[in-house]
Amino acid sequence: MFAGARRGTDADAWLGTVPRWVYSPSTLEEAGDFVSATAHEGMSLGFVGGSTELELGAAIGKLDAVLQTTRLTRIVEYVPADMIVTAEAGLTLGRLAEALAQHRQRLALDPPAFDRATLGGIIAANSFGPRRARFGTVRDLLIGISVIRADGTRVRGGGKVVKNVAGFDLPKLMCGSLGTLGLIATATFRLHPVPEMERTLLVPSCTASQLRALISRLKAAQLEPVSVVALSHRGEGFEVALRFEGFSAGVNEQAARLAKLQQAQGEGLEVLDEAAAQAWWKGHDEARLRGALRAKIAALPGHIESILPQITALQRSLKNASFLWYASLGLGFVAGDPIELEATSRALAQARLQLQDLGGSLVLQAAPRPVRSTVGEWGSVAPAFAVMQRMKERFDPGHRLNPGRFVGGI
Amino acid sequence: MRGDFVPVAPAVISELAGVVGAPNCISEPAALRTYECDGLTSFQTTPGAVILPASTEEVVEAVRIARRANLPIVPRGSGTGLSGGALPVPGCLVVGLSRMRSILEVDLENAWMRVQPGVFNLDISKHLASAGYYYAPDPSSQSVCSIGGNVAENSGGAHCLKYGFTVNHVLGARLVLSDASVIDLGGPVLDTPGYDLIGVLVGSEGTLGIVTEVVVRILRKPEATRTFFATFPSTDEAGQTVSDIIAAGIVPAAVEMMDRLAIVAIKAATGVDWPDVGAALLMDVDGPLGEVEHTAAQATAIAAARGAIEIRRPKDEAERLLMWKGRKSAFAAVGRISPNYIVQDGVIPRSEIASVLRKISSLTAELGLRVANVFHAGDGNLHPLILYDASVPGDEEKAEHLGGEILKICVRTGGSLTGEHGIGADKAPYMPEMFSEADLEAMWQLRCAFDSENRFNPGKIFPTPRLCGDRPGKYVPTRSELSGEAGRG
Repeated sequence: MFAGARRGTDADAWLGTVPRWVYSPSTLEEAGDFVSATAHEGMSLGFVGGSTELELGAAIGKLDAVLQTTRLTRIVEYVPADMIVTAEAGLTLGRLAEALAQHRQRLALDPPAFDRATLGGIIAANSFGPRRARFGTVRDLLIGISVIRADGTRVRGGGKVVKNVAGFDLPKLMCGSLGTLGLIATATFRLHPVPEMERTLLVPSCTASQLRALISRLKAAQLEPVSVVALSHRGEGFEVALRFEGFSAGVNEQAARLAKLQQAQGEGLEVLDEAAAQAWWKGHDEARLRGALRAKIAALPGHIESILPQITALQRSLKNASFLWYASLGLGFVAGDPIELEATSRALAQARLQLQDLGGSLVLQAAPRPVRSTVGEWGSVAPAFAVMQRMKERFDPGHRLNPGRFVGGI
Repeated sequence: MRGDFVPVAPAVISELAGVVGAPNCISEPAALRTYECDGLTSFQTTPGAVILPASTEEVVEAVRIARRANLPIVPRGSGTGLSGGALPVPGCLVVGLSRMRSILEVDLENAWMRVQPGVFNLDISKHLASAGYYYAPDPSSQSVCSIGGNVAENSGGAHCLKYGFTVNHVLGARLVLSDASVIDLGGPVLDTPGYDLIGVLVGSEGTLGIVTEVVVRILRKPEATRTFFATFPSTDEAGQTVSDIIAAGIVPAAVEMMDRLAIVAIKAATGVDWPDVGAALLMDVDGPLGEVEHTAAQATAIAAARGAIEIRRPKDEAERLLMWKGRKSAFAAVGRISPNYIVQDGVIPRSEIASVLRKISSLTAELGLRVANVFHAGDGNLHPLILYDASVPGDEEKAEHLGGEILKICVRTGGSLTGEHGIGADKAPYMPEMFSEADLEAMWQLRCAFDSENRFNPGKIFPTPRLCGDRPGKYVPTRSELSGEAGRG
């Protein structure tokens, strides 16, 4: 079909669908030519980066070709003085971090699977980690992008300066678009300094209402943690990790003040040493990635008490269940292995109904097929769905790119 | 530049008046002239009619009427924009949102607030001040510019170096589309499944629809802010200081630079007792006290090491605000030292500041003009103020030519045509300097997904008129674009 493309095998299966062709371009030109060739053939085309979020979204029924970005790993431009970097989409966050660390800089994104997740995949899937509480998500750090459109032409949006309002924001359009509008080819990011130190403190046990009070206390005291993550295994209270970063003077002072506040409340606080802190965050990352069922939930931070019973019911339908709640953001992740699929489906459906009533959402990040078909990956479509459909039509009129994977069958 | 006056048919006027009430429907040519331009007064077109609706429902009805009558619609906030983003087109209906000025909902625990688009930027923070919260983006016009206008322009401000722009602080919006349907984008809860349409809407310059409600993120005030004002022999030392501060791992809340002429103007206008020096920096660091004490001390030491002549720290909040007032009044202050001036807005990579300033200065000298530089040094956002005298024949043309040359320098050094004022009508002809035909075509398809009738704010952003068509068509460049001679207006 295309020089360099190979036949897909069972090893390439994507949610049960084996692509007919698989291609791993080594240059952006090759990538563009391949996309263009599939356009001429009218082939459906999927995009794959580090394969960390392949289970997000619906299965693609018929997949003629898959383009893997894993060989598109060049750093195109890195200007430490301007704190910006442009790299090809297949570069992993881990490899990028190594290059940036030489100048004590970093891209302030910390999704799990740091070593496998690619820049393009992180953008497409809007992957994020606990530092989102301070630095925002990929949309807040992505300042420029180039995209190979459905017809194979490469277009740019944004730029390589942090401040820029020229033209429509194509970078934002691509964030979370899951490969349905085009192939992310390169990305330019704003960078941050690597902090002088970081420290993690642990509230060993608290209830949902104590967690809300803790968040309020942090704000009242004007403390600025970069991450606040509550972890519950069986819905019987949370363990809360708080991370401070910055210059040592600031980190030490904030940690000391938090300790005093907790003492005054009669609530505990442990200061984790470096090894213990690393172990906690590693455990967090593993919990994000583990389980045949993984659901992302979104609500307001203050909703935690009202949604907890439904979350607990969902957890009870799972083995090895975990619930991670990014307490200042109102975003959470429930994961585990369904004990009985129907019970899990019912619990998911009920939790989603409540979350949607509250203006939030529940999205399946991974699920066994029967759960997907009963519950649906995305839930009810947004009020702006008509515009989303038109956007898809405008960018991919042949509906070839990751067809059916996204919200509402886009 | 002035467009023709094309009146709107009396029958349509009376329909519109029926919706918003006669006092809020303006059709007298003399009264319409209030709306003939925004803050960029060199572009003027009297609109066909203006309405000042009071609700989403009224906006919907007005869009319906305008659509039947096939009128272009130009949304307008406070009219403080500096790129002609609210410039009417002949025969258009201007929808002014200035009467929609209510704060609808405040949720401190979850840190968001829902407001109508006519609410002034600063009024959001004032409303929250007693609770210790604020809204971060702070354009210099914040006491009079509206949040709806900020959404249209993705407004920045001095403190966006650390905190980001409007797009990082707007969580949701209610939008009236050209088919008169109403959609909600985003909302107080993060990560609405689907495309990030709220991210696309912010900065779309009123071309996608009319925003009738905005959900903004609000922040707890930082515990401490430390400010210093440092003077230098020239912009070289000041620029190097900024680079060193950032290389030291400090993320200041704001770093502003002013050159000699800007300082002269600000002194004349505000009476601040700043010395006559080649350059000055005004810097804020904020955050938890321990962090701030450390970074302020370190930044001050860097400024001293780089040859600062004098470093002042405000003795109290009043003095700090005075320093900032000096900076924020810089644009208007230039009026004290020149009969006319053009405010330019371009961005360069921070590391290019010194070389670009030298280029601007030599170009300026060649043309026999003067330029005062005020800019957000931390993110390379230049605001050259080009001084001229319109009564001198040829001076205005020279000033406009210089403005265009500065923009080209910005783009060629890897920067942008605009950091915060927007493309509007003013810079639309320059878009091909920064974006290829294919880039512009992709942006055009994005616009068509919202407004396939090209009803909202035509003539902005894109260098040439286009149509959406039933199916996406190939973009055909004009002759002037092909020859690279796209000119101004």
